[in-house]
Amino acid sequence: MSSVPLNAGAPSPASAGPLATLKALRGRLPAWLPWFVGRLLSGIGVVLVISFIVFGATQALPSDPARIILGPEAPEHTVDTLRRQLGLDRPLVLQYADWAQQVLSGNLGRSIDSSVPVGELMAGRFANSLTLTLAVAAVAFPLALVLGIFMALRRDSLADRAVLSSVVLFKAVPGFVIGICLVMIFSTSVFSILPAASLLDPSLPAWRQPQYLVLPTATLALSVATYLLRLVRASMIEAMDSEYVTAARLRGVPERRIIWRHAVPNALIPAIQGVAMTFRVLFGGAVLAEVIFSYPGIGNTLNAAIEMRDLPLIQGIVLVITVGVVVINLAADLITVLLTPRLRTATRIRARSPGLRNAASLWRTGKSWRVSV
Amino acid sequence: MRAGLAAGGGLVLGGLLPGCSDGGKAPEGAAVLTDTPRRGGTVRFGVIEGGQAGNLDAHKPVGSGAFRGWALYAKLWEWGLDARPKLALAEETEVNADATEWTIRLHKGLEFHHGKTITADDVIFSLLRLTDPQLASPYAGYLYSLLRNDVKKLDERTVRIPFEKGAGLVALAECWMSWGGIVPTDYDPVSNVVGAGPYRLKSFTPGQRSVFTRFDNYFKAGQPYFDQVEILDFSDQTGRLQALQAGQIDIAPNLPFEQLAFLQADPRFEVVASETDVWHSFDMNLEKAPFDDPRVRRAFRLIADRDELVARVLQGQGRVANDLYSPSDPAFNHDIPQRRQDLAEATRLLKEAGHGNGLDVELVTAGGAGANAALVFAQQAKKAGVNVTVTKVDGSIFTGPKRNDWTFSTGGSVSRPFLLTVQQHDGPRAVGNKTHFKDPRFAELITQALGQPDLDKRRALIGEAQRIQHESGGMLIWGYSNVLDAVSKDIGGVTPDRTGFAGWRTDRIWRRSLTA
Repeated sequence: MSSVPLNAGAPSPASAGPLATLKALRGRLPAWLPWFVGRLLSGIGVVLVISFIVFGATQALPSDPARIILGPEAPEHTVDTLRRQLGLDRPLVLQYADWAQQVLSGNLGRSIDSSVPVGELMAGRFANSLTLTLAVAAVAFPLALVLGIFMALRRDSLADRAVLSSVVLFKAVPGFVIGICLVMIFSTSVFSILPAASLLDPSLPAWRQPQYLVLPTATLALSVATYLLRLVRASMIEAMDSEYVTAARLRGVPERRIIWRHAVPNALIPAIQGVAMTFRVLFGGAVLAEVIFSYPGIGNTLNAAIEMRDLPLIQGIVLVITVGVVVINLAADLITVLLTPRLRTATRIRARSPGLRNAASLWRTGKSWRVSV
Repeated sequence: MRAGLAAGGGLVLGGLLPGCSDGGKAPEGAAVLTDTPRRGGTVRFGVIEGGQAGNLDAHKPVGSGAFRGWALYAKLWEWGLDARPKLALAEETEVNADATEWTIRLHKGLEFHHGKTITADDVIFSLLRLTDPQLASPYAGYLYSLLRNDVKKLDERTVRIPFEKGAGLVALAECWMSWGGIVPTDYDPVSNVVGAGPYRLKSFTPGQRSVFTRFDNYFKAGQPYFDQVEILDFSDQTGRLQALQAGQIDIAPNLPFEQLAFLQADPRFEVVASETDVWHSFDMNLEKAPFDDPRVRRAFRLIADRDELVARVLQGQGRVANDLYSPSDPAFNHDIPQRRQDLAEATRLLKEAGHGNGLDVELVTAGGAGANAALVFAQQAKKAGVNVTVTKVDGSIFTGPKRNDWTFSTGGSVSRPFLLTVQQHDGPRAVGNKTHFKDPRFAELITQALGQPDLDKRRALIGEAQRIQHESGGMLIWGYSNVLDAVSKDIGGVTPDRTGFAGWRTDRIWRRSLTA
């Protein structure tokens, strides 16, 4: 049982003694700070290691960028010239050092495909991906939260079972089928009220062109919400079955207060990790929407860059995605820790996060490892 | 040279199949305009170019850069509808008897997008830029014998272009219409994208969208017609089809064959089918067993049921080929009899070559039409006791450093004149010689043909060279495919085109629904 008791671990008063100064210092800083700094450092380590692995992996791929850019018609000596110009003939370690030095000075290099600076190329695409991610979050999270709590409170009722069945249906149908159905209904076959392809005008930010966001958001929100909804429902059911809820009921605490003050905050903790996972997946490129709706996000750009062996672009994109994932993880864990009194006050935090295993298990198998759906 | 709705030509309208002319006969002339072009409006193209974002370089186009080049740049010669060079910016050209000296004169009063007059200096700059080893253009190799240092300005509008003695280049016009965009001496492919094409650049977002506006001083009077042209990049065929159906794009060039029936059923679109020289082949490596034996090569060429390949792989959108490329070239040899399937003769030849007990070969392909062709051929080969295993590899590996080492692989290329195609695939100096075909007599004939400006004499040389290719070459060229362009009925001016560029000619199209 890993749910959190109501009155767990109140901070103990600092005791007098030889280590009083240190303790006093510690008393002023939050207890979780050393853990947080540790996580921050390991995050930076992850970014470094990933950048190195990506660099190596792109080099290990057969074929080379110069040949792919110039195409099969180019004579060998022309390819050699380009290889030299791109610095691809130098030892791998030197290439990496050069790249790292450039990045540290804020320059991500130029795309070898389009000769446009990598930063400029990525900025628009990442902004689009971020806009879509936030739009999906704004639709999916409240939906999952409200429906999840509602279903948990009316567990096994007709409404609960009906929603659960349709959720399973949406989960079972591949995302692209949902997307294409939406296109047929709203753009091409039945009504023609929404654009079929999200051909964003690059000179305007994506949020100023909401007509192009509707269908991709709906498609992604439908597949994301089903996962979150079951996560919320499962942890809410667990919270309502827990000993502290029983204890509160025995003490005559009103049911409304039990639900909103005690059960919901605790049930949300696993959902934070679910939300983080959704953010990670969407931020790294919602390839589904990018293919069906030709949405100009980062996923397609990365895919194209890999196809072209466009090293500076691959490196730049992976770097930003890695940083993004590390930040999202860190934020999710920090929120989890801050919302969990037992973790908030512990000087050593062993569990990386209480909800993570549950979220991962649900993502992978569709089943909560704690409460059977 | 005006062409509109083709009368009985290659226009597929509501299930009408193309019944175009054969071989080298051009589809031009049969076409008459039924509508008058009008100025104004915007047209949107949806293009797909693999994963490449592409660039805007006139002389080193990457990905859909070639498509954008048609809007941005004008050339001395341009592609005629019959796939032959046609004078464009050049008013007059002259070549000496062994094609080692070209003299080219520009039209008077030509202008670039930024207002500068086009002069001989710009022509020389463009030519030297294309062939600059540091630019590393893949197309510079076609001008292998150009004497770069001796290109001379005769006057403000006239240039003399010399080639090495004994290595004249009659195909200069063909090269130029393909890759020779004329750019000003202050040109830069990123920061100063200026040409003399029908449209000038407004904005370029790689992999997403490029916008162009009309160039009013385009060298063709009255053209182009649109105020604005937008080229939108798609990465997925289905995504592009949906955008077309939703009315978000007007033209989808190079439609996959699978989408033909679907669009034909839709009254809002017409599918313009152009018969082209786009060719499809199986390439046999002459340096590797079993194809080092001419009997095996001959047997393989007799195994192929070309009609079935065209029907199944190209869905009928094409013609059978006779192991030769560039049938629209004026020098093409149409007298060589068409090779047909002959399993008895194939089996006999294989037995004679020592493969009486069957033969195992691996056929490497990169997907697309090639992969389908490989599967159909594997079925056909079984009937002659040949077991063909089809191996599919990633496109970047297929055309990567090992691209010329496959023993047996699928091949083919775009619609181009003979003297360019031979330089790429099996002639002397060919960089993509996957078959490793090296015949001394063939090489001699090609070198002579490259320096022979007289068409009749060149026809004799190329005719003999093609007999050698047909007899002992390593390519099994089974078909030429049509190029399909889906066009909204509201767009006029897209007509069947031997080059396969029907949907690329931004200077000929207009919107019908505009009121005059």
